[in-house]
Amino acid sequence: MTGKQTAAYFIRKAVELLATLLLVSLFTFLAFSVIPGDTARVMLGANATTEQVEALRAELGLDRPLPVRYLSWLGGAFTGNLGNSTQYRTSVGGLIVSRLPVTLGMSVLAFCMIILISYPLAVLSSRKPGKFADQVCSVLGHILFAIPPFVLSLLLIFITGSLFKRVSVGSYTAPDVNFGMYVRSLMLPAFAIALPKIAMTFKFLRSSIIEQKASDYVATAKSHGLSDYKIMFRHILPNSNVSSITVISLVLSDILGGSLIVEQVFNLPGLGRLLLSAISQRDFPLLSGIVFYLALVTVILYFAADVFSSLSDPRIRIR
Amino acid sequence: MARHIHVLKVHHLTLSFPTRKDPNPKPVLDDVDFGIRDGEILGLIGNSGSGKTMTSLAIAGLLPEGAAITGGSIKFRGQDLLTMKPRDRRKMLGSEIGMIFQEPSTALDPLMKIGKNLDEVLVAHGVTDPAERREKILSTMKTVGFDDPATIYERYPHQLSGGQRQRVLIAGAALLAPKLLICDEPTSSLDTVTTVQILDLLKSLCRKLQMTILFISHDLSAVSNFCDRVMVMKDGKIIDKDTTSDILTNPKNAYTAELLTNARLDTRMLGIERAHVDYTSSPVLTAKGIEAGYSDRIFGKGSDNKVLKGVDLEIYPHEILGLIGSSGCGKTTLIRSLLGLLPHTGTASVVGRRIGAVFQDPVSCLNPAHTVKWHLNEALRVAEKKLSKEERMAKISAALSEAGLNDEFLGRKPHQLSGGQRQRVAIAMCLITNPGIIIADEPFSSLDASSSAEILKLLTDINRERGTSFLLVTHNIHIIRQIAPRVVVMDDGKICESGLTNEVLSSPKASATVRLLDAETKLHGA
Repeated sequence: MTGKQTAAYFIRKAVELLATLLLVSLFTFLAFSVIPGDTARVMLGANATTEQVEALRAELGLDRPLPVRYLSWLGGAFTGNLGNSTQYRTSVGGLIVSRLPVTLGMSVLAFCMIILISYPLAVLSSRKPGKFADQVCSVLGHILFAIPPFVLSLLLIFITGSLFKRVSVGSYTAPDVNFGMYVRSLMLPAFAIALPKIAMTFKFLRSSIIEQKASDYVATAKSHGLSDYKIMFRHILPNSNVSSITVISLVLSDILGGSLIVEQVFNLPGLGRLLLSAISQRDFPLLSGIVFYLALVTVILYFAADVFSSLSDPRIRIR
Repeated sequence: MARHIHVLKVHHLTLSFPTRKDPNPKPVLDDVDFGIRDGEILGLIGNSGSGKTMTSLAIAGLLPEGAAITGGSIKFRGQDLLTMKPRDRRKMLGSEIGMIFQEPSTALDPLMKIGKNLDEVLVAHGVTDPAERREKILSTMKTVGFDDPATIYERYPHQLSGGQRQRVLIAGAALLAPKLLICDEPTSSLDTVTTVQILDLLKSLCRKLQMTILFISHDLSAVSNFCDRVMVMKDGKIIDKDTTSDILTNPKNAYTAELLTNARLDTRMLGIERAHVDYTSSPVLTAKGIEAGYSDRIFGKGSDNKVLKGVDLEIYPHEILGLIGSSGCGKTTLIRSLLGLLPHTGTASVVGRRIGAVFQDPVSCLNPAHTVKWHLNEALRVAEKKLSKEERMAKISAALSEAGLNDEFLGRKPHQLSGGQRQRVAIAMCLITNPGIIIADEPFSSLDASSSAEILKLLTDINRERGTSFLLVTHNIHIIRQIAPRVVVMDDGKICESGLTNEVLSSPKASATVRLLDAETKLHGA
């Protein structure tokens, strides 16, 4: 691939990213304007007079027509100003950044758990498909996938709370206060997020490994006298990785959005809870800010998945 | 070490797949007993399912899970392979016993460069010096016929042709000059010209590296100029064993004689008759200036690659028109364009009834989830919409019986059919639509000799009795010579020669035709 083609690829991806963000913001805006409820009314409470509400509406700019409101918000967004949250009265950007340590920390931890647990299990399981180890892994996977995250979180709290007294449940320490405590406080919620994803990644990897095992190049490698260990790590895993990249990027984009339920159960100030309050308080600037972030994360991850696939498989050329 | 006349001695080997339900099933290999002499090329011939591949896997120690050797022994240079530790056996693979498989297109790890693919073999057998490994790989690649090994070393498998990949695989197997090389149908997915090159290469390697070869094939005539001795296998037993010349000229076993008839496709023995073609009548299919290709343009830059560069073609009523050419000449693209499956320019007009198609691989042509009846019903629905249930059933069983199958097969699913039976179902699906022309793309190449002969007879019967015209695409010139009155030769996206088969094949003018005929002569003898 020439430098020119690479440049063209990145330009096209950037255009795609912008178009996606634009559409997402438009849909968010439209969806928000059709759901019932008024920002000013919610802010002032049920006892406010109509005049007070109208005054606040004017102050917030809500009395202007829909397209004007959207364009003025869009203009702000393009200059990096996502506006002020109507409920917290601070900048949306600042709010999101303040919640990121929780969501990012959990995501990183959960992602490590997913990779570290699902890969060894898939390798173990695919050694002898249908035999004992495989059956145990598969049944466990199904159970974990079927339990709702809410129940799973409560179960985890119950189990760890009664087994390990030292794990702090339900309290969050900021990373700049005590990093060790920060990691420890996120361990359990990260695990709760990771478990169903582990089940999913495991199932996908397992079938992918089994499929690769039956391929002709594995027969060739065997006929060359390579050990099973080498065949697994040098041939089978890299080949199943190619198809796993897409699944893993989906998983990542999912966990980076923050988990509403897990944050609620573990009482963590993450993005999921911020999103919930934005919706319930009709806080449009905050909501669109969060949606903006989610769209950005998703598009960037898809893009990264494309690049990774083409790096790991010479047959795939990014175009 | 004492010198052994036999490099490998397989002694009364019995193998089966016992299950809990059936602990003593019918053996897959039944009392297989043979020896391979030092330096010889031994052919192992048989139809699909005869146990050829299982024999080779048993020797290599790569049997699939569930296979159990219930009796006998395999001795390699005096050592009993079956009592060896798995670890020691694995060490032998690649260094003392090499293997080459059927499908070169998928036998190399697609994520690894050719050099890396080969490098592994040496690493696994303890060659630690990288420079020494590279040197050895490049010299072996030169031996297997790569003029510029350093370039190929850096290529990925998908950047090579089928023949080149098979050379790489041969290089991989020959790197450490093993004493025994097992070749399991190494040429059956290659075209005739490439097949001859690969066989020549194997023969020269055999001499140069003093290797012994066990050559497995389903085509008896293909091994005629290659093997010193031939064994014939049927139902897990070796039923005939002789020198190649004796087997070919004077087969003592009835089954061997039958295989030979099938392999030679002797039209008289098979009872094949040609239909009379009237070349003054107007053609049923006329194609003019067909062009097709693909483009790798990005933002208007890049190039268009034309696969077809203007093809004119006419097919007459009752005619079987042969289309030959080596791989990559555009045969498949032409067929797909004629069938309207690919975007193309130029015109193709058909007089009267529809076009039917039969493809190379009957496995992937049928939907594994559905029965034979469902497939025929689907095909019929396309052709005729308003039919009562009884009329449908009558048509379905008529088509099936014309294709040589009876109503018993209606409820079967593709996995319950043999390769030949699947191809018959594909043909029945074609017949039920009552086509005026059937385009057959290599319909024999995935079948063994006996099934090919049967399908060939079926196609000629359909041609004669129904008057259906055929466009028969194949790399088997022998078949064309026997049944097609007229032939066109393709080369590089164009038709380079066409005319009556006898004239074209007896005095070829285009270089492509000469190449094909040379390969044919080398492979099957004059």
